Amino acid sequence: MKPVAAVKPWDVANIPGPVMAMPLDPKIAVAMIKRARRPLLIVGSRITEIELNGKKLVDYVVQLGKKGIHVIATAHVVGELMKHGCKPDAWMPLANIIDRLRDKDWVGVDGKGPYDLLIFMGIHYYFESQMLSTIKNFSPQTKTISLDREFQPNANFSFPNPNEKLWKEHLENIMTMLGK
Amino acid sequence: MSRRTKFKIDELKTDSMHIKNLEVDIGRIATEEDWEPLGPTPTPGILDLRNWDMKLLSRYKPLYAPICDLCCLCTYGKCDLSRGRRGACGIDIATQQARMVLIACCIGASAHIAHARHMVHHLIEEYGPDHRLDMGKEINVEAPLIRTVYGIKPETLRDLEDVLNWCEEQVVHCVSSAHTGQEADSLDYESKALHVSMADQVGMEVADIAQIAAFNFPKGDPGAPLVETGLGTVDKDKPIVLCIGHNVSSGVEAVDYLEESGLMGQVQMCGLCCTAHDLSRYEKARHARVKVVGPLSQQLKFVRSGMADVILVDEQCVRLDVLSEAKAKMTPVIATSDKICMGLPDRTMDPADQIVEDLYNGAPGVIISDVRKAGEVAIKTAVKIAPKRSKLKGQLLSTEELLNHAKRCTGCQQCMRVCPNNLPIEEAMQSAAKAASEPKKSAKAKAKAEEDPLQKLAELYELCVGCGKCEDACERKIPIHSMITKAAEKLIAEEKHKLRAGRGPILDTEIREVGAPIVFGEIPGIIAIVGCPNYKGSYKEVGRIAEEFLKRRYIVVASGCEAMDIARYRTEEGESLYEKYSGKFEAGGLVNVGSCVSNAWITGAAVKIASIFARRNIRANFEEIADYITNRVGACGISWGAMSQKAASIATGTNRWGIPVIVGPQGSKYRRMYLGRKDCKDDWYVYDARTGQKAYVGPAFEHLMYAAESVEECIVMAAKLCIRANDTTKGRMIKLTHYIDLHKRYFGTMPDDIHLFVRTMADVPITMKDEVLSFLKSKDWKENELPNPDATLIKRLIRVSKEG
Repeated sequence: MKPVAAVKPWDVANIPGPVMAMPLDPKIAVAMIKRARRPLLIVGSRITEIELNGKKLVDYVVQLGKKGIHVIATAHVVGELMKHGCKPDAWMPLANIIDRLRDKDWVGVDGKGPYDLLIFMGIHYYFESQMLSTIKNFSPQTKTISLDREFQPNANFSFPNPNEKLWKEHLENIMTMLGK
Repeated sequence: MSRRTKFKIDELKTDSMHIKNLEVDIGRIATEEDWEPLGPTPTPGILDLRNWDMKLLSRYKPLYAPICDLCCLCTYGKCDLSRGRRGACGIDIATQQARMVLIACCIGASAHIAHARHMVHHLIEEYGPDHRLDMGKEINVEAPLIRTVYGIKPETLRDLEDVLNWCEEQVVHCVSSAHTGQEADSLDYESKALHVSMADQVGMEVADIAQIAAFNFPKGDPGAPLVETGLGTVDKDKPIVLCIGHNVSSGVEAVDYLEESGLMGQVQMCGLCCTAHDLSRYEKARHARVKVVGPLSQQLKFVRSGMADVILVDEQCVRLDVLSEAKAKMTPVIATSDKICMGLPDRTMDPADQIVEDLYNGAPGVIISDVRKAGEVAIKTAVKIAPKRSKLKGQLLSTEELLNHAKRCTGCQQCMRVCPNNLPIEEAMQSAAKAASEPKKSAKAKAKAEEDPLQKLAELYELCVGCGKCEDACERKIPIHSMITKAAEKLIAEEKHKLRAGRGPILDTEIREVGAPIVFGEIPGIIAIVGCPNYKGSYKEVGRIAEEFLKRRYIVVASGCEAMDIARYRTEEGESLYEKYSGKFEAGGLVNVGSCVSNAWITGAAVKIASIFARRNIRANFEEIADYITNRVGACGISWGAMSQKAASIATGTNRWGIPVIVGPQGSKYRRMYLGRKDCKDDWYVYDARTGQKAYVGPAFEHLMYAAESVEECIVMAAKLCIRANDTTKGRMIKLTHYIDLHKRYFGTMPDDIHLFVRTMADVPITMKDEVLSFLKSKDWKENELPNPDATLIKRLIRVSKEG
């Protein structure tokens, strides 16, 4: 097993304990998404606020949605997503979806069974961190990755605090590697 | 209530005895008049209301979000509890989270109850234990929480002492359960958190009743005067005494000394946090033109500005670096509470003039626990030291210094990473640094350049929560917080707003007027905006929330720091909300009850509806009253910037009464929410108290304690959380109209759960009939079998059991 360089959480004081995320790179992200039976993309209010050199985060969400990944819109972003041509599979508060995901008997928004991979994007750092902690501790069989820029210690995998340019490159690479 | 009974017999002769000069002092005997039948749970202990808690917790299950996966409370540890592991004592991570929540609630409750004890103790010394509690002519139900929980009608300060004894006992029992090897179940920890937080609410009520009675604060006056608030309101040409904290006794004494010494009008009294609220409730302080500087988020800015000539601190939410920050500006600090000693010498027994002399000559601070003396010393010192300090007032940085600091920024982003809101500090720094590096321009010219180089720094001012962590994280020790303040100095100078002074309780007469429309749902809800200023965005968010519901004629109630931040908000037309809306507890009224401890009046209003409108017996009858509120009183608390342990206990205590609370995203760090599952139909049944039949009432209300991610989400959810099982059809129609309208406005779509709230066709909002009916059809909706039950969660309240 290759040694992995330790990454400090974005908020350096946000050290939850011995179980922390591994650094994510686009190849890992794509492999996990392709391997997943039922991936779910959970997007938050920052998808309409963040713009990476002319491309909004919401545009990546739309792209991922087109690749067949189920999308849950949290906060109030459902309308914005629809304006961008992506009708989410459901919309509900972040707390609601996490509450359902920790329930091993929950069958998903389409009734077809539990999700095995959760992808987080565009959620406030600390709120995302807390909700990832719920999944880590109470639904440990579910894998999680964060596509946000900030290193999320409670995910399984998270980008290691890249600068914005590199973050955009990572997202573009993921979109390219996932193909059409 | 209880009474001390004392009698003297000068001489008594009978056949068998002869008594002379006999004095009997019995101590305390119960003399409670028979004002209502005694309910089932007087002076409740932990177990007495546990069944009620379990009812709530079976519907609103705790969702835990550990902020730390470890337990480090005993020497077996640290123990890693992540992913199903247990600690050396056997604890699991859910139980550990519940335990930490309980500890937080105990800390919060202790702060309020100790404050109440301090206040009552001081007032008994001043006025004696038999001082009567006068709450004015329009209030008969003077202490709704004490009556319902403890079971008495308090009449004197001594009665309040009895209540506090009970509160303190609950805290001790609850905190003891957090010891290693005590409670083993997370739900039982939650029950204890609910219990101690209920005691917290009672303690808050004690504190506010005591200070209203003793200091003659407004007794529910809807026309309580408007007072000035904002950093720009403080008169820096006068000697300035700044009060910080939550216990107004020392501030009141300072004002009294101003009057006694003929200095009224010559010294600027001002305050930060709740002690400022309470000072502005004191009539003499208003005559002295006291200023409410602002909420906790303004503390570091104001202390560091050097404006204050003396800082008088009491208790709670005082920055722990206040002494070192004040010292840098030669501002002496007077500590008045045993909770905050700061390592200072206790000079309580020294002559006032000697202490003044020492502070004038450079002593950084003193403890004076005698609040009267503290007030005198504060005023005398401010007057004496002000001329010496005049050049230090308002001096932060020059523009040139600011630009030079900006040039030192390496762009490492450590400041952003520790910022609670990840504010774009680096970008603002780079913008300022770029201007500073431009050649052939003076610093002044740079500052006035077309693109103001300080604009981006200034923009951070309204978003900054004032914690100062950015400076601590900076490897180059750049004074980022001061730079933001400097960049925003024009904005700060214009910070002049109007705040309605805290009015305290809700009048019985007001409850008579609004009780029916609230319970029937015609007033769509009571929105209480309370708590701390740790917002995810600008402080303006709380103003926005308030305005949205005021326009819709909800009753909006406010307290604490968020009440102050509502005052800082302006409508699009430039109006302030306290000037635009009435201070009456009515549809479209904006009611500032006052400081943190005044929160008790908000829950108290819900209890009064049960008592005055519904004529329920409230005496020692917690469970029935909480059940009434749960099913009938459409109220929702919002603590958008909840930060402290006190906020945790206030929210949890409010929850036990059956009132939901929304916190901002930072509130997720409290580790626990109470969430309902609207997709689980079995969770939403009640008993029909008329027949005992079980009835589905839908998710009314959906969550008990919940963190929202955005202000838009918060507004929509708050409207939804005002829906109650017992709404009349007209009331439900009105509430649904607001919910759907807000959802469409902020989310851009129809809600996807309307079918869960429409019980019969009569509930369908008339103005949205076609689209709602179309939606209902798509969900295969059918009318509820029993659409209007007399809803209760308590089996014993069924009047005629179906089983006979």
